[in-house]
Amino acid sequence: MSAAVGSRGRAAAGARRPDALRVVGWVLGTLAAVVTLVAPAVLPRPQLTVYVLTGTAAMVTIGVSLLMGYAGQVSLGQAAFYAIGGYTAGLLAVHGVPTLLALAAAPLVAGGLGALVGLPILRLRGHYLAFATLAFQLILLAVVGQVAFFGGDIGLQGIPQLSLGGEALTGVQAYAWVTWVGVALVLLVTRNIIASRPGRGLRALATSETAAESCGVPVTGYKVTVFALSAAFAGLAGGIYAFFIGYLAPGSFPVLLSFQFVVMAVVGGLGTVWGPVVGAVVITLLVQVLNDLGTRPGMPPYASSVFSYAVYAVLLIVVLLFLPRGLLPALSGLLQRLLPGSRRPRAETAPALTDEAAPTGGARE
Amino acid sequence: MTAFLSYLISGLAIGCTYALVASGFVAIHRVTRVVNFAQGAFPVLAGLTVSSMLGRGLPHGAAELIGIAVAGLAGLVVGVVAIGKRGTPTLASLVITLGLGILAYAVEIVIWGDQPVSYSMLTGSVNIGGARIPTQYFLVIGVTVVTFVALALFFSRTYVGKALSACASNPYAARLTGIDPTRMGLVAFTLGGLLGGLAGVLITPLQPVAFDSDVLLATSGFAAAIFGGLNSAYAALVGGIVLGVLQAFVAGYLDAAYQTEVTLVLIILVMLYQSGRRSALTEELA
Repeated sequence: MSAAVGSRGRAAAGARRPDALRVVGWVLGTLAAVVTLVAPAVLPRPQLTVYVLTGTAAMVTIGVSLLMGYAGQVSLGQAAFYAIGGYTAGLLAVHGVPTLLALAAAPLVAGGLGALVGLPILRLRGHYLAFATLAFQLILLAVVGQVAFFGGDIGLQGIPQLSLGGEALTGVQAYAWVTWVGVALVLLVTRNIIASRPGRGLRALATSETAAESCGVPVTGYKVTVFALSAAFAGLAGGIYAFFIGYLAPGSFPVLLSFQFVVMAVVGGLGTVWGPVVGAVVITLLVQVLNDLGTRPGMPPYASSVFSYAVYAVLLIVVLLFLPRGLLPALSGLLQRLLPGSRRPRAETAPALTDEAAPTGGARE
Repeated sequence: MTAFLSYLISGLAIGCTYALVASGFVAIHRVTRVVNFAQGAFPVLAGLTVSSMLGRGLPHGAAELIGIAVAGLAGLVVGVVAIGKRGTPTLASLVITLGLGILAYAVEIVIWGDQPVSYSMLTGSVNIGGARIPTQYFLVIGVTVVTFVALALFFSRTYVGKALSACASNPYAARLTGIDPTRMGLVAFTLGGLLGGLAGVLITPLQPVAFDSDVLLATSGFAAAIFGGLNSAYAALVGGIVLGVLQAFVAGYLDAAYQTEVTLVLIILVMLYQSGRRSALTEELA
């Protein structure tokens, strides 16, 4: 309960007075935007690949955070929509549709399918919904693996390069900038939704659907819309991924990938706009560093996969037990206490993975 | 008829292992309200342990017992991490078990590598109405029946079993009578580990297991468990058998490739049907 009221309080307070933390937030946000915009020009090629993959992961994770943190709906199948976006863009491009159009279709198809799937399964709550989304992904992977049109288990090959205005993007750099634009777009949409009246409705229904409904929040409509929106974010990321990698197979979208998006969202801070970005960056970089360590000579061949599993698991568990609101809210809470002139402890305003913020069927006693 | 019999019995046997995994889900969920997403790791751990114990020359029986004990211990560890810290919200516990399931991957790959393993328990087959049925199937069915009878006795006749049921029906009232719900939660996690381990020991001779077999095992077990809304072991037994037989018939008469889709679609339909009979208010207050 405190979560929804607190967040609403924060939004209102933020609109009225630019407190010190808000200024710091703006400065850091602008700094991050500028640095990431310039970075592709100077980063070497291998790092650029990491940049693109981090960006696409961040886009999906922002959707997960919107869905889990604000609307209180759990999805363990977000990689399914990532795959749908990828296959939409890939298939259209392979069949001669202009690549930019194919990329634009990716979020639309993913969002549309999200709405179609969400309509029945969003009647489920908590762990039932989590399982249904997981089941949806398993079904999708099985179907894609069996139908020759999708390339079957072998995969979809020969996806052309993305081209803008007749100019094919061959460099990794260009993809990095495309990713940047994608992340910026997703962030902007998310921020505006959260600050709007429907955004407050979402937080209300996360607290209690019955109470929200009785206050006039169209619960089903909002839930399906936000589910479709998060699917569209994942679809856009999948589209970029498809053009960047140039090859898609069911094996590229394992269930573990969906878990990974949840881990990123939870570690970064559920129910914040920037938290998922922080989570995606921190985890991708950490996995990358350990991956380099794991592929050094003298290491056993399985070292890098063991490291990445261990990183996901340990980070997730430690953050949930000791920083239940995630890294970003924990940091901003710390900042708030250090900055002069602060009145409200910031840490209380971010929703966490509590039963109150995300009610699940039978979760409370 | 011959084919029908062999599909039926293999479906029954596989369904029994699902029911065992499912009863582990139920044992944990009833007492702690946590859906243990690491449940699939227990059968995998047990199967891998038994195969390396047998490889070291341990006799049958001892190896299986060690495998089940390892799974039980893993259950206790999962319980301590997931609910041991006071005030951990239920949903956080759920995500923590998901994390522990991933951690199990790392541990399993380091110890056993990433290749699937198998071993044989009972060899030979029985001839029923012209169908040759491997003896292992009957062992699986027999052990499952004995286990469920033992579970029924445990919950109705022993102090710990009754205390577990007390925590399941009302943790607050249970605490008033001197039962520690957290400790009972740990007992439930250990029981869930043992049941999952038993399933793994029985299923490994039928389907080789690798570190990532847990997704399908957990999915099937969860599917069986939701037949009873995750709160009844007997409904889970029925659910597991229905699921196993259905899968066997789909694989036998249609195509083995459709097994997953049919199962999962059925589960989603069951869940939707159940949710239609509960109101949002009762779920939020539950």
